[in-house]
Amino acid sequence: MPVVELEAVTKAYDHKVAVHDLSLSIEAGQMFGLLGPNGAGKTSSIRMMMGITMPDAGRVELFGRPFDRRSLDRVGYLPEERGLYKKMKVLEQLIFFGQLHGLPREEARHRALDWTTRLEITAALDKKTQELSKGMQQKIQFIATLLHDPGLVVMDEPFSGLDPVNATLLQDALLELKARGKAILFSTHRMDQVEKLCDSICLINNGEAVLSGRMREIKSRYERNRVIVEFEGSSDFLKCEEIAEANNYSGHAEIKLKPHGDAQKLLHLAAGMATIYRFELVEPSLEEIFIQTVGGKADA
Amino acid sequence: MRNMLLVARREYLEQIRGRAFRFSTVLVPALVIALLGVSAFTGRKMGAGRHIVVAADNAALASDIRSSLLDDKKARYTVDVVAPLTDEDRARLLARVADKSIDGLLTVTGSASGAPRVTYTSVSRADLMDTSLLKTAVTYGLLDLRLTQRGMTPEQARSLVESVPIETLQVSKDGKTGKSEGMAPFYKATFMTFLMTMPILLYGLDMARSIVEEKNSRIFEVMLSVTRADDLLTGKLLGVGAVGLTQIAIWVAAAALLSGSALLQPLLSGDVKIHFSWLEAVFFPIYFVLGFFLYSAFFSGLAATCETAQDLQMYVSLAVVPTWTSFAILPFLLNNPSSPWVVAASIFPPTAPLVMVPRIGLLAPPAWQIALSLAALLAAIWAVIWVASRLYRVGILMYGKRATLPELLRWLRYS
Repeated sequence: MPVVELEAVTKAYDHKVAVHDLSLSIEAGQMFGLLGPNGAGKTSSIRMMMGITMPDAGRVELFGRPFDRRSLDRVGYLPEERGLYKKMKVLEQLIFFGQLHGLPREEARHRALDWTTRLEITAALDKKTQELSKGMQQKIQFIATLLHDPGLVVMDEPFSGLDPVNATLLQDALLELKARGKAILFSTHRMDQVEKLCDSICLINNGEAVLSGRMREIKSRYERNRVIVEFEGSSDFLKCEEIAEANNYSGHAEIKLKPHGDAQKLLHLAAGMATIYRFELVEPSLEEIFIQTVGGKADA
Repeated sequence: MRNMLLVARREYLEQIRGRAFRFSTVLVPALVIALLGVSAFTGRKMGAGRHIVVAADNAALASDIRSSLLDDKKARYTVDVVAPLTDEDRARLLARVADKSIDGLLTVTGSASGAPRVTYTSVSRADLMDTSLLKTAVTYGLLDLRLTQRGMTPEQARSLVESVPIETLQVSKDGKTGKSEGMAPFYKATFMTFLMTMPILLYGLDMARSIVEEKNSRIFEVMLSVTRADDLLTGKLLGVGAVGLTQIAIWVAAAALLSGSALLQPLLSGDVKIHFSWLEAVFFPIYFVLGFFLYSAFFSGLAATCETAQDLQMYVSLAVVPTWTSFAILPFLLNNPSSPWVVAASIFPPTAPLVMVPRIGLLAPPAWQIALSLAALLAAIWAVIWVASRLYRVGILMYGKRATLPELLRWLRYS
């Protein structure tokens, strides 16, 4: 049973169609990436899942049932535009959000203390939100999203504004949630994160899904025409006719082969001219797939 | 419902704990007391210690004027008399006015003629009360003089010109006749209108400001994923309304405590004796809450369409309309609490909370009028919250620019 299912969903504002005939499905224990250029319709799609706006056409199901506000008690949502009550103290704020999601006050307090210990921000508990740094506020918002142990976690750009140490801390927390069978949807521009974390993706452009499916399956659709070579000696093999484009960074070359270019032929040639430490035929990155798919069609 | 109450609780606690609440709770009554104090003090000081000289061409007239001035217990003048008045005296007295050894010089010349000349010279500008007292004293003095010149004894003349006190009585609805409260209804109606309009205005605007602030802090998207827009709006209204009631309760309790203390006794003497009936005690909080809901829901809807505090500023002039209206209606209300205009204003929802409570204080209106007024208010609140929550639902997620009227109308159609 999918945790979230959008079926042929459409939403228009005045004369602008924000989302058109979009379908996607997210299973429990799955990390799902919603990708797309600015203005593609990612936030509009998420808002419909959250009941913030209603679709003009199509169906939204949460936890196997048609959308019902009561299901939102099992959803944690971290919007792109972060928002906390600035004058409220951190612990009070976390308890408040926990209670809004149906937790009893004491339980919310207990969980808030656990999470703040885990994310190393116990010192902030008694401070007002406005006194905290942006990164700290981000962590508080992250906790507020997860405090009620939701079955579905929806995060819009969850790592933006975080330093690598804190980003890893939150990333680990998300992976643990995934391991516990939670469905996680995140929307981001950071392709490296999606590539590392997500099992499935949906790439939308101008409100329509242009690419969707499991990450492995999507990547396998694209030819492995990228080669990374680390070498010592002559770089003359980079003039090989199999190569469409090459960048040489003193002993580290990134090569793009011509369509149907022969990598084995290149390896033989290179081995004859230089000492090869690494020769790797790599699949296209998600970023390349993104650019290739969306290309010049992006709005922004 | 649970989330609505949680939102209300959060709003209430945040505001109650805020510095602004503590500040306004203390400052507003302190200002009112200070104003009342200044007014009472200046009222009492009127003429007190003021030293004037009455100079006339007729000694009896001058003495008569002096007696009239000294008879007035409120205006405690020291009055010297110079009569008959010579040019030399005049010059000397004017010099004394100039060097401030006396506060004023009242001269009456040509008293025997049909057109006497009366002047009052002082360094400071004479205030209205002074001028009025002097005018009365001179008028009665001249009248007294003429009557005695026509053969009456001074006693006969005085008995003719003596002012007659009028006892004002009031008939209640059950036909009993009691002593009228004098100026008390005026003070009470003004006080209640003030007590009703100021918090509604201040808290309504505060609510609007908090919506713009929260819109800028982007908290709404998180909140709307947990709770419905109308629960969020109603919760905010309940919380802020409860803050207003708490503040008024503190003021009323403080006033009740202080009214028995020596501190306020001098201020509450004389005409300023205000008593509240149980009917007023019941209806004041009801109308306050309903009025607050009506205006705050209206301001909230408008605030949701604004981007910045500057945008909101544009609507502030709208916010003071209820205050203007209620104070404009006040004279009609005091004159005749049952006149058709006043009855209409006490039923018409935007003015009902501001007019009905002072009206109840003056003369209990028929029960059907109170019932109709409450029903109309509730219906209006429902309608305003319906519109405001739609504007709110769409408006709080719209960032970038202030909405135009056609856009607002479109927002109302969005589900």
